[in-house]
Amino acid sequence: MQALVFYAFAAIAIGSAVILVSMQNLARALFLFFIVLFSVAGLYVFALADFVAIAQILIYVGGVLVLMLFAFMLSNKTLLDQLQTGTAHFFALPVWQALLISCGFLTILVYASVHLGSHQPTWITTAETAGSTIAPADSTIQHIGIQLMTRYLLPFEVISVLLMMALIGAAHLTRKEDRT
Amino acid sequence: MTPLTPTYTLLAALATVLLPLIGFLLSALAGKKAKSGAIGISTIALTVVTAAYTFAQVWDSEPIHVQWQWFTIGEQTFHVGVLLDNISVFMLLLVAVVALPVHIYSVAYMKGDLGIHRYWTYLGLFCAAMLGLVIADNLLLMYICWELVGFASYLLIGFWFTKDAAAQANKRAFIINRIGDIGFLIGFAILYSGFGTLDISTLVGPVVQNDLPPGWLTAAGLAFFLGAMAKSAQFPLHVWLPAAMEGPTSVSSLIHAATMVAAGVYLLARIFPVFDDTVLLVIASTGTVTALVAAYFALTQFDIKKILAFSTVSQLGFMMVGIGIGMYPIALFHLATHAFFKCLLFLCAGAVIHEMKHLADKHRLGIDPQDIRNMGGLGRHMPITFVTMGIASLALVGFPLTSGYLSKDALLVHAFEWAAWQQGAAHIIPYVLSFVSILTSFYIFRLLTKVFLGSAAVEPLANGQTKLHDPSTWMAGPMLFLAVCSLFPLFSFHPLNDGHVWLLQGIGVSKPWTSLPLLHLAIPIGSAFATLVVAAMTWRWYVKGTYALKTEGPLYRLSFHQGYLDGLYDRVVVGAVLWVSRALRWLDAHVVDGLVHGFAALGRSLAAVVAWIDRRIVDGLVRFVGKLAWGLGNVIRRTQTGRLQGYFGSLFLLILAILLYHIIVQA
Amino acid sequence: MITLTHFLVVSACLFSIGLYAVMARRNAIIVLVGIELIINAAMLNLVAFGRYDAERYGGQAFALFAIVLAAAGVAVALAIILNVYKHYKTINPEDINQLKD
Repeated sequence: MQALVFYAFAAIAIGSAVILVSMQNLARALFLFFIVLFSVAGLYVFALADFVAIAQILIYVGGVLVLMLFAFMLSNKTLLDQLQTGTAHFFALPVWQALLISCGFLTILVYASVHLGSHQPTWITTAETAGSTIAPADSTIQHIGIQLMTRYLLPFEVISVLLMMALIGAAHLTRKEDRT
Repeated sequence: MTPLTPTYTLLAALATVLLPLIGFLLSALAGKKAKSGAIGISTIALTVVTAAYTFAQVWDSEPIHVQWQWFTIGEQTFHVGVLLDNISVFMLLLVAVVALPVHIYSVAYMKGDLGIHRYWTYLGLFCAAMLGLVIADNLLLMYICWELVGFASYLLIGFWFTKDAAAQANKRAFIINRIGDIGFLIGFAILYSGFGTLDISTLVGPVVQNDLPPGWLTAAGLAFFLGAMAKSAQFPLHVWLPAAMEGPTSVSSLIHAATMVAAGVYLLARIFPVFDDTVLLVIASTGTVTALVAAYFALTQFDIKKILAFSTVSQLGFMMVGIGIGMYPIALFHLATHAFFKCLLFLCAGAVIHEMKHLADKHRLGIDPQDIRNMGGLGRHMPITFVTMGIASLALVGFPLTSGYLSKDALLVHAFEWAAWQQGAAHIIPYVLSFVSILTSFYIFRLLTKVFLGSAAVEPLANGQTKLHDPSTWMAGPMLFLAVCSLFPLFSFHPLNDGHVWLLQGIGVSKPWTSLPLLHLAIPIGSAFATLVVAAMTWRWYVKGTYALKTEGPLYRLSFHQGYLDGLYDRVVVGAVLWVSRALRWLDAHVVDGLVHGFAALGRSLAAVVAWIDRRIVDGLVRFVGKLAWGLGNVIRRTQTGRLQGYFGSLFLLILAILLYHIIVQA
Repeated sequence: MITLTHFLVVSACLFSIGLYAVMARRNAIIVLVGIELIINAAMLNLVAFGRYDAERYGGQAFALFAIVLAAAGVAVALAIILNVYKHYKTINPEDINQLKD
């Protein structure tokens, strides 16, 4: 039963992604991305990372995606026209080099993943035998909060500063120039 | 050979040669300023003085022979030197004494000529060369002076070189002289190879070592005679002398009457003992033929100078006969007398031409001032000229009381004696010479009567509009001096007999035959009588106008056209040379140049091949490398697209490759 | 039974698709979406491995950081795209090819 749901989420994510990259219409592509993000959040739950899933939905979908949609929609008409018009149809012919490279990477990564299954790294096996894996009954929020404030404090602060810099930069970049 | 201490005589002899040379150099340096001829006349006057001194010292005394070493080739040494004996000092004095009046005469005759500075320069050169020739002691030095004399003659004949006829004439003179010079050269080359020396006193001396095979001495003699033939205008090499009349008359008088043409006779007299009987016979025969032919041509000529030119040739023939019969002193005697009277004849002709030219210019008549048909009755206007020319003509025909009588009759008498001694066909010579004497009288009296007697031929003279004058003192003085020299007292105190001639007593030669006293009487009387008859005949024909012979016959035409010799030479000799030159030119243009062009073409084709190799292969290699680099660059350039996704593609491709490598190789 | 491998395979697929989008799409915003897909794939990977790290919770913490970074990246990228459009009047990455010598 669990496996079925998992496969369903995975299929939705991958399928949407595939459609997403072959679609010409930008708005539809963004909405498909929306679906991909939701599916991935579901997959996070299966990995026992419920907080990350919610954080994904909140920040990614609610923030980033909305930002993209707003930027896209609030742009001027000519830009929209530019974005709307495309040279190819739905399921356009892809550039074969990119396809080849992507497939190559896919093959390698899949192979590596499958290989990992038979040759698990030692720290995973020791963790399994020691039993220090995350159990479904654990309160991840509590643990993440403790770790963020103690072990990962520096990265936390740094990343907040970085975020601020990025936003300031973005705001500056998109300022209106005085036409004199 | 006397030791090298310089005596006054030697110095005087050297001065005689060097003074005109100095005059030549000074005139040449003075250039256009040497107009007055003062340099020329002063040097020649001094030359006369030194020549007279030398003559006085050496005549009938010990000969002086001085030699200096000149250059050495291998083991042979050549010398320059001076030989002063009776013959040479006599000729020295003769040349100097004849040159001086001519120089003085030239002052007036050449007055106003634009090139007069050249005239004095060339005359100085000529006098120096002639005097040098006379006292040269070896054949090489004589040859050098011989050539110089010919060169000076060339310069003076072509004095008015802007006239085409003059340019042609001096070329002809020089070329024919060159033919003779080859003979002189071959002659002394043979003598040198045979005798081992070129020294004249050795060659004509009593004992001489002879290495020559039999015919070579004759050949040498004939070769020398060839040289004398050209220089002294013997038939058939005489054609240059009438043409040489293009030069000024004073030049003609000095060079082509008195001195240069006598150089041939002088040479033969100098080395007389070298000649054997065959050569002497050839000389005598040629002289006779020349005398006859030239007198024949002189009969019908209308140009006054040409008549005198042929007369000169004829008299030179006489001199050659004198040498041929073995009596070279008589030849030299005739040379001396001829020098005076022929020079005078030319100077008088020059005076007449001078006056006729003035007349023609003044009245703008288009007449030739040298044509005797335009003259006539000039004796009334120019008495001095008439008298002096008359004396000279009488000397030419050998009328008694003149010097010419002594020399010519001596020649005729000895010719008859020689023929009597030789027997047989030799008699032709003296009879022909006698006939030539008659012809001589005819042509010279024809000239006298047509020019000076009778009535004038041109208008302004005939109707008494104009008068002609005797020439000025500058011209008349020399003429009178030479007229006096043409009379007997200069050479002998006895007017009628040649036994007392001091020249013949000084230069003597023994006669192998006995003298025939009858001839000594018969010949002079006969020739004087003939002269008078001929004089009367010409008077009747030319003054009275009753001409007895027809003028259109072939004999007349042959004489008038001078034997058509000029045309013959033109066609045969000149034509042959031109043909050879054309053939050689063809050879040069086609064969030689063809060879050169062939090499050039070969070089060009080689160059073309090399160029092809260079262009295609070498440059191709270079270009190929360049194209390779360009192609590679072009290909690699495409990686720099500026497109972001392209860069991504390359990046991920590389990472993929590395991962694949790790997986495949590690596994 | 959902093993680690399943997650990894899914993440690999997402990664490849994101890669394709970055390399092949002519629209800058889709390229941006592709980058987001890649980051999402990486996050899925982090979380999948993070299950075996209960002591430090490293995987999940870093997944959170990755979300923040992605957001920052999107913001700046959008600003850049808008500026590029203003300058070049197009957002076709093919036409914006000044990134060369």
